[in-house]
Amino acid sequence: MNESQHLSSQFDEELSRLRTHVLQMGGLVETQVSAAIEAYSTGEVASVKTIVETDRKVNDLEKAIDDDCAHIIAKRQPTASDLRLILGISKIVTDLERAGDEAKKIAKGVRRIYENGHLPGQYGVGIRHLAEAALVMIRRALDAFARLDTPQAADVIKADTDVDAEFKSIIRQLITHMMEDPRTITTSIDIIWIARAIERIGDHAKNISEQVVYVVEGRDIRHTKEKAQ
Amino acid sequence: MQIHDHPTLKAEARNLNFYYGEAKALKGINMPIYDKKVTALIGPSGCGKSTYLRSFNRMHDLYPGNRYEGEIRFYPDNTNLLSPDVDPIEVRMRIGMVFQKPNPFPKSIYENVAYGLRVRGENNKRVLDDKVEHALKGAAIWDEVKDRLSDLASNLSGGQQQRLCIARALATDPELLLFDEPTSALDPIATGAIEELVHELKKRVTILIVTHNMQQAARVSDYTAYMYLGELIEFGKTDEIFIKPQDKRTEDYITGRMG
Amino acid sequence: MQPTSLTTEQIRALIAKGKMKDAIFKGMGIFCLAVALLVIVLLVSDMVAKGSERLTVDFFLNFASRRATQAGILSAWVGSLLVMLVTALAAVPLGVAAGVYLEEYAKRNWLTEIIEINITNLAAVPSIVYGLLALGIFVYTFGFGQSILSAGLTLALLILPIIIVSTREAIRAIPAMIREGSMAVGATRWQTCRYHIIPYAMPGILTGVIIGLARAIGETAPIITIGALTFIAFLPPVPFTEVSPGVSAGLFDWVMSPFTVMPIQIFNWTSRPDPAFEINAAAAGFVLMAMVLTMNAIAIYLRYKMRKNIKW
Repeated sequence: MNESQHLSSQFDEELSRLRTHVLQMGGLVETQVSAAIEAYSTGEVASVKTIVETDRKVNDLEKAIDDDCAHIIAKRQPTASDLRLILGISKIVTDLERAGDEAKKIAKGVRRIYENGHLPGQYGVGIRHLAEAALVMIRRALDAFARLDTPQAADVIKADTDVDAEFKSIIRQLITHMMEDPRTITTSIDIIWIARAIERIGDHAKNISEQVVYVVEGRDIRHTKEKAQ
Repeated sequence: MQIHDHPTLKAEARNLNFYYGEAKALKGINMPIYDKKVTALIGPSGCGKSTYLRSFNRMHDLYPGNRYEGEIRFYPDNTNLLSPDVDPIEVRMRIGMVFQKPNPFPKSIYENVAYGLRVRGENNKRVLDDKVEHALKGAAIWDEVKDRLSDLASNLSGGQQQRLCIARALATDPELLLFDEPTSALDPIATGAIEELVHELKKRVTILIVTHNMQQAARVSDYTAYMYLGELIEFGKTDEIFIKPQDKRTEDYITGRMG
Repeated sequence: MQPTSLTTEQIRALIAKGKMKDAIFKGMGIFCLAVALLVIVLLVSDMVAKGSERLTVDFFLNFASRRATQAGILSAWVGSLLVMLVTALAAVPLGVAAGVYLEEYAKRNWLTEIIEINITNLAAVPSIVYGLLALGIFVYTFGFGQSILSAGLTLALLILPIIIVSTREAIRAIPAMIREGSMAVGATRWQTCRYHIIPYAMPGILTGVIIGLARAIGETAPIITIGALTFIAFLPPVPFTEVSPGVSAGLFDWVMSPFTVMPIQIFNWTSRPDPAFEINAAAAGFVLMAMVLTMNAIAIYLRYKMRKNIKW
């Protein structure tokens, strides 16, 4: 990635503002996810409202960033690394926004479970562990983007395999639960939804990391066996 | 995406050096020109791209003190365009050129186009009429001028003049057409017409174009060469150069960064 | 640091000062121009005033005579025109060819440098020197005698540098892109010169030719040096007419004929003691001037007409 200055300092400013906005949006999504996990563990149903409100801000930022991308393309006709940065950002924000949506789904699921008078902790599955892994993925993906750090992005992509494996094992556990005791089915399904959302957050983090590799190296590693490094 | 097509070579610079007197303006250029493709030469002012272009039709021979080293091989007959044994006039009969500023002769539209044929000794009115019409059609200007072929070329607009100059070059069926910043003196509409024309022309002729306008290079060319200080820095498919250049200097130039 | 911005008053004061200098210079320019024009107007009107009584048809149709009132300028103006014809026919092809060669063909080296310096210097050689040269070469060595041919060639030499220089200037004014445009389609140097360089340089060349001829028509010294007669009562033979019984003149016999020209006729009349001839001299001077002005007018007209189509 090219760190030298453009002849147009205004272009430099526009790009750095764009990156700041992406990181800001990333920060918001990160708080959404961690708040959702927090709610899951503690039953703090009140925070669900905050998560939903934050989602509105995230959506607004997504629209604003896309708009900025369109403006930069129209005005500057970016090429090479600049072009890849703009393209990457416009995809990264889509993934971030969806990750935010998943956080919202988790929060709503948590609220449903607690409102039905159940305690998810009783199910003793590794949801919390899974969620923390996904949170770390999001955080590190954003970090990789901020520092245009491809090794870090590669780590995130690798981590997704673990998250997927863990998600499958959780599903198996819950299926066992449901077969043993059909009364747990309602809550189990809610928990499956939550686990599914967490797994999706991991996928979005992976997508973001793939975009970071594209932005930096110009290699498109999506849907390939190609390694990030 | 990797597309493995193997275009045929039309020309090839081999270890090309060029000197204006003592000053070395081109340094060891090795580059292919593919048949029926558009190759763009980009780079900052003074990088040697026009000098390189003008080597192909030996334009430098018109001025004293210029010297070539190396070869430009021209296919299919494998002639070395720069060889002292090859007459520059023979070279120019095979390779047409369009200049930076439209330079129609202060003669009629018809005579401008017919000139290249007259130079070749063609004076048969019917043959001339036919070829002039064909060339003007090829340059997408026939409909605008067919009713006033005897008007002075200088009465045309800048964009029309440039298309007339393209017709002048086309009239003699060149194998390679050199464009030296053909739209730098034109407005965006006229520029668009020329770019469209370049796209049409590559069906029948190989094109080498120098441009200051990187977006133009991106729009019209199949291959792009980036030159800097007389050297060829990078040559590749236009799609790749503009998305993922290999060299930091190419990257800096096409993204508008300081060197 | 001083504030750099000026108040409106200061700006106005500055402009006023600048404009005053403008006005002073303009006034001076008009004055100088008026002086120059006035001298010409005085000269011409003096000639007209003095010579008007002689400006009749007879004056143009009479040969020289011992009696002032019967003397005319027939042999002089015919002589002048024929000498000019020879001069133009000799000087134009030579001068244009030399100019084209120097601009389009010659390599830049010490030899062409020397030639160039010499051409410039030739223009400054006093005309009498050309007369001496011509006397030796044309009159005696080539044996052309004191003829229209000798005079024409002498004056041709005299104006050759003017034509060469103006040809070169006119060629240099043609943009390089026109030359390149022609060469780029595969034209040879000669084709480029023939179809482009010479036609486009023509208005400039023509101007040079006419300026040269206008200078030549007024030259006296070299013509006297080669021995033009001052008193001629016959015209050169018209081609294919009978000059003596049974002998008709050839197409080019006139070039070998003795002759006189306008300036010599004028000089001859002014040097006579009879004041009546001064009237003749004034009238002839006016005619000579009219000839020069006519040539200039033709030059301006032709240049305008030819330049109309040449645009780049």
